[in-house]
Amino acid sequence: MVNDSVPDAEVVARVLGGDGEAFGILIRRYEPGLLRFATRMLGNPDAAADAVAESLVRAYRHLAQCRDPGRLRSWLYRITGNRCRSHLARRRTNDISLSEAPPLADPSDAWAVVERGEQVALVERALAALPEEKREAFVLKHVEGMSYEEMAQVTGARIPTLKMRVHRAREALLAALQELV
Amino acid sequence: MMLDAGGGMSPIDPRLQEALDNERDPGDLPADQQDAYARLMTAATLLSAKPAVSVADRVMAEIRAMPQQLHTGNRWRRAARWLTRPLAVTLRLRPAWTLGLAAGGLAAILLLPGDENGPEPPRATEGIAQFVGHFPGARSVEVVGSFNNWSRGKLHLRDENHNGIWHGDAVLPAGQHEYMFVVDGERWVADPLAGRYVDDGFGVGRQNAVLIVRQANSEDAP
Repeated sequence: MVNDSVPDAEVVARVLGGDGEAFGILIRRYEPGLLRFATRMLGNPDAAADAVAESLVRAYRHLAQCRDPGRLRSWLYRITGNRCRSHLARRRTNDISLSEAPPLADPSDAWAVVERGEQVALVERALAALPEEKREAFVLKHVEGMSYEEMAQVTGARIPTLKMRVHRAREALLAALQELV
Repeated sequence: MMLDAGGGMSPIDPRLQEALDNERDPGDLPADQQDAYARLMTAATLLSAKPAVSVADRVMAEIRAMPQQLHTGNRWRRAARWLTRPLAVTLRLRPAWTLGLAAGGLAAILLLPGDENGPEPPRATEGIAQFVGHFPGARSVEVVGSFNNWSRGKLHLRDENHNGIWHGDAVLPAGQHEYMFVVDGERWVADPLAGRYVDDGFGVGRQNAVLIVRQANSEDAP
């Protein structure tokens, strides 16, 4: 049995050694972020769940191909990002349904739920209006909390390019979010 | 979308960008920029809630249904045992010139003596794959792929004539496999003669070569 605090590289070694159940540790560790990332990229929770499930199975199959298990998180986001791009390529951008986005908060106060839901819908609408690359850059930076170095590993883009995408995304979002706060 | 007088999107003050990149204390920003900072950080917070769904059970069920030896070396131990027995073999289809290069090797394999009194037949689910690549000047070439967990050090090719033609064989389970050549221990190269490729899933334009191994007793071409 592998403890949840064990480093990624050690869990990967256990999986490659034949302990397939240990992969569940990695799923628990990264699934929430991957689902959030995919949902923000695709705007549809069902499509996001499919993309993440496909990505995790693919990651398991090709785990030995992960050349630096210490950077497993970046590798998983990279695979998921590619799956999201494949999904997006199969449909037109305006097919993204913001109304299908999942509820994000669960406060007990009913009025807070309504108010927060409206705010979330506004932010999601603004995010969905961004071009795919800027949307990805903003989500990785500000939602997933990645450094530009890690974003470069995930996207394959250069750091100056990513900074420019994040800056442009902020400008576009700020313009669209005048009603917020 | 907010447009400036020139019709473009209003740029954000560089100080605000720096604060959002954690390169400047947001408390030092002018009041209007602190509002913009708060607006963007609130947006990020609203987008950061934990999703309500999980795919863990679905993924683990799929993983449990996979062959147990996916990440172990059992396949290779079985292949080594199989190689010690005289068997009829089936070869992977290759471009004509590579088959020609390997003709000597093929003949040697096909002429292995059989035992008419009942040699153990080849496993119905395996076949021989032959790898040939042209890498002049290379010091080493090996093959990594889905059949050996993409692990190096398990399938080395040989250049016995020192002419840059590297070749080697392996017994593999019948079916489709993905693979790459690793040249001089560091350069990963998709077989330029594979004829079939798939996206490797790890980057735009990155592809693995694909090979199809026929079952040893199959009469159907792949």
